[in-house]
This record gives sequence, structure tokens and C-alpha cells, in this order.
Amino acid sequence: MRNPRTPALALLALLLLGACAAGPALEDRGQVTAAPGDSGRLTIGSAGFTESDLLAQLYARLLGDAGYRTSILTVANRELYEPALESGRIDVVPEYAATFADWLNAKTHGADAAPVGSPDLGATMKALRALATPRGLTVLAPGRAVDQNAFAVSAAYARRHRLKTLGDLGARKLPVRLAAGDECVRRPYCAPGLRKVYGIHITGIDPKGVGTTQAKRAVQQGRDQMVLTTTTDATLDSFGLVLLADDKRLQNADHVVPVVNRARAGGARVAKALGRLDAVLTTADLAAMNRQVDAARRLPADVARAYLQEKGLTG
Amino acid sequence: MTPLPDDCLARNEWICGVYLSTRRQILLDAVVQHLQLTSVSVLTGLVVAVPLAVLARRWGWAAGPVLAVTTILYTIPSLAMYSLLLPLYGLSAALVVAGLALYSLTVLVRNILAGLRAVPEETRQAARGLGYGPVRLLLAVELPLALPAAMAGLRIATVSAVSLATVGAIVGYGGLGNLIYAGMNSYFKAQVLTASVLCVLIAVAADLLLLAVQRLITPWTRTARA
Repeated sequence: MRNPRTPALALLALLLLGACAAGPALEDRGQVTAAPGDSGRLTIGSAGFTESDLLAQLYARLLGDAGYRTSILTVANRELYEPALESGRIDVVPEYAATFADWLNAKTHGADAAPVGSPDLGATMKALRALATPRGLTVLAPGRAVDQNAFAVSAAYARRHRLKTLGDLGARKLPVRLAAGDECVRRPYCAPGLRKVYGIHITGIDPKGVGTTQAKRAVQQGRDQMVLTTTTDATLDSFGLVLLADDKRLQNADHVVPVVNRARAGGARVAKALGRLDAVLTTADLAAMNRQVDAARRLPADVARAYLQEKGLTG
Repeated sequence: MTPLPDDCLARNEWICGVYLSTRRQILLDAVVQHLQLTSVSVLTGLVVAVPLAVLARRWGWAAGPVLAVTTILYTIPSLAMYSLLLPLYGLSAALVVAGLALYSLTVLVRNILAGLRAVPEETRQAARGLGYGPVRLLLAVELPLALPAAMAGLRIATVSAVSLATVGAIVGYGGLGNLIYAGMNSYFKAQVLTASVLCVLIAVAADLLLLAVQRLITPWTRTARA
């Protein structure tokens, strides 16, 4: 008689063989509730876009100078690196305060939870720390550099209508077609906020994506009047665009902030090493470095090293 | 703002000598990682596939379930495969290797099994008549005769692993895929083209290498033809 369990066993053996081939031991996944620790070997996570690569390189170099052995792991998105940060597979990640606070908030309280990120940096940091601490993460001090949403118009358009701020644009009562992502229709920082806070007459959204080449070209050629991009966008010049200041503080406090795994990198030494950068790095510096990588195609590692040398932050 | 240097990198050209000279080490590291990921995963797949195929051949009823499971594995999209294996392996090269090894099973098991089934019954009976036991029959007669079909499967599995490995970039272990993804994110033409071309070259080289190995270990197929 045939044994009916054999196919199931064969199946199980197949899966187990796959699993045992080279899987990590359970103990490698780390304990998330441990006290602040100091590991000699740190992995810095990058989310794979230019600015994240640059910040990871800056962090790696500063931590290297402070005596840590460092490596960088580039991961596609936050859904992948945040759990790894909690488990200690990744130890340090450059983050943006309000965006990360809202992301953790959605993870903790569901996608429909009211946002906790706001234009107020103090309130945002408080909310962020409250969400991060139970997950075994420590949020270090925020830096001066801010990568937040920003709106740009063509330089000629700004000159003609004497525009310096979004408030000016609202006061002139000009019809504005906005090149942005299609989510702009609903997001409070985008079309609804521009209408309500600034009184800007938004006639429509041209769904070309946030800060894409096509979006900027549409404004350059006059098909759209304004484009949604970010404050560290370094290619605005080459499209003849200028940013309008967010004078009524519609945008969230997306300050650059290092987030670390407390058990592995929560000590004072890491905070001190990274704090040296936060005091120096400005939004304009970050934009200039982005340009070095995205336009001049220099290597993020080289650009980061040159910056730290120029600022006297490395030996 | 400092002016941009006037070279093929800043002009973002598809073919750029400066790219090759400034990224030599990075390209080399990516190629090495790509070769490691591909070879380790295909070898792992082979180690699992041979016993599965032999079992499926011995017990006819096992063939259905084994082929069904390995085929279903192949239909899982690569992004989903890595996400499913993520809790098991964390962010590691092993995650990518395990995914690729599971994918290679479909082709390997199918081809090895086809090779084993193609061994003529008369050949088997002749071996038994000469006093071959089941183990010796398998090792000295059946597996060698299954080699051409198995090697064909190995070549397909290897070439597809070379291309699928690039998806490992989402967890930072994609070999040349890391460069392709980074290049696509920032419209870096020279990087996308160079890494893609290298990927194709690896696939072609691996295929030719396995073809040479196949001819070397199955000399009888050539003498028969000649």
C-alpha cells in the first residue's frame, strides 16, 4: 500500500532544503527592546535615491572616523529597510522627520490614522520619538537640512508677476496649472493646501510626477505654470526655474534626521559622530551634492568625501 | 554654482569611456557578486533537483506533485518571491540565492526527469542482467544517459538565473542589477547600458561554458553523430 504521507513529506523536504541552504540563524535577528548599545560594526542603510546614498556615505565616513567599521546596504524602499532597522540588520538610516513619523504612524495605527507630521519641527520630533522608541529605534537630533516639498515656477514668470513667495502667487489671483503627482489632488500639502492656505487659483493638476524631467519641461515651455518638486532639487537652474518660498509654512518639517537601532547604535558615540554633520549640513549643501551626483555623475562616495574635507569634518 | 564638467558623464551619453574608467572597481565588484549569486543558486538548485527527479522517476505517483510544486514556484513573480522569503532570511544574499534556487528547480527537475525517463527500458534490463543493483544502475547507466537533457536544463536555468538575479537589487544584493536600478532611478544612461551589456555577456559566457562542459562529459553523443 502506498503511504499517503510521502508526497507531503517530499514537499516539506523541498521547502526545508530551500530554507536551510543558507538562511541566517535566529539569533542574528536581534532583540529590539535592549538597552542602548554600541556595536563596533555598523551597517548604514540607503533607500537607493541619490540624496539617501549621499547621506549614507556621509554617515559611513563620519562613523568610520569615529572608529566604527561600516558598510552600506542599499534597499529599494522603507517597507524593506524599516523592519531591518528594527531587527538590527541595518543600524543607521538617514530619514526625514515628518515623512518617517507619518509612515510609522500608519504602520502602528493603520493607514487611515490622522497624520502626526506637521510644519512644526518640535511637535513632529516629539510624535516621531513616541512612535520610534517602542520599536527599539532612537531618533537622533534633526539637522539643519530640510528636504520638503517645494513649488517652482519659471524665472521669467516670477519676474513678470513679481513673485517671491507662494503668498505672492495667491495675491496675484493668477490661474495656475500645476505639474505634480496625481496624489496632489488630495494631499493637504498640495492642491488643497495651496487653495486654502494661500488662496492660489489651481485650475488643474498635470500628472507628470513629483520633480520629474517631464514636469519641469512642461513649466519651462509654459504648458504648466508651476511644478511640485523638493527643496534639495539641484536641477531647477538648468530648466530656468525658481522656487517660491513657503511663507505660510504649509510644508511638513522634513528635516534630515539619523535614525538608529538603539541596541546596536544607540550610544553617545554614534550620536556625537553624526551630530557633527547635522550642525553643518544645509539644504543648499545637500542640493549642491545632489547636483554633483545627478548632473555631473560623480560617485556619491567621492562627493561625500570632498564635502567632509571641505568642511573640515574628516581627518 | 560651480559649472558642470564637460565630459560624457555630465552629458549623460549612452556610451561613456569615463564611466568605464572611473567605475572599474564598482563594475568588477558587481560582476563578481552577480557570478556568485548565480552560480551558488544554480548549484543549490541542482543539489535539490537531482534527488527530487530521481524520486519522481522511482515512484511514478510522486512525479505529479513534484512537478506541480516546482512549476507553481516558477509562477511566483520575483518581487513577490523575495518578499515572501524576506521573513525567513532577512536582508541578505541568502535571500536572493534561495529565491533563484527555487526558480531553477522548475527547469532542472523537469529536464532531469525527462532525461531519466528517456533511458530505454532495454538498456535498463541489460544492466540488470549484468548484475547491476538499483544504485549502480542509477549512477552508472541512468544518470549518464540523462546528462544531455539535464545539461540542456542546466543551461536554461543558468541563463534565466543571470537575468533574474538583477531583481535582487531591491534588497541590495543584485550584482549588476544594483547598478541598473540605481541608473534607472537617476536616468544614468551609461550605467544602465554598461551594466545591461555586462549582464548579457555573463549569460552568453555561462551558456557557452556549460555547452563546452556538456560536450566534454558526454563524448559518446559526438562520436555517435560522427
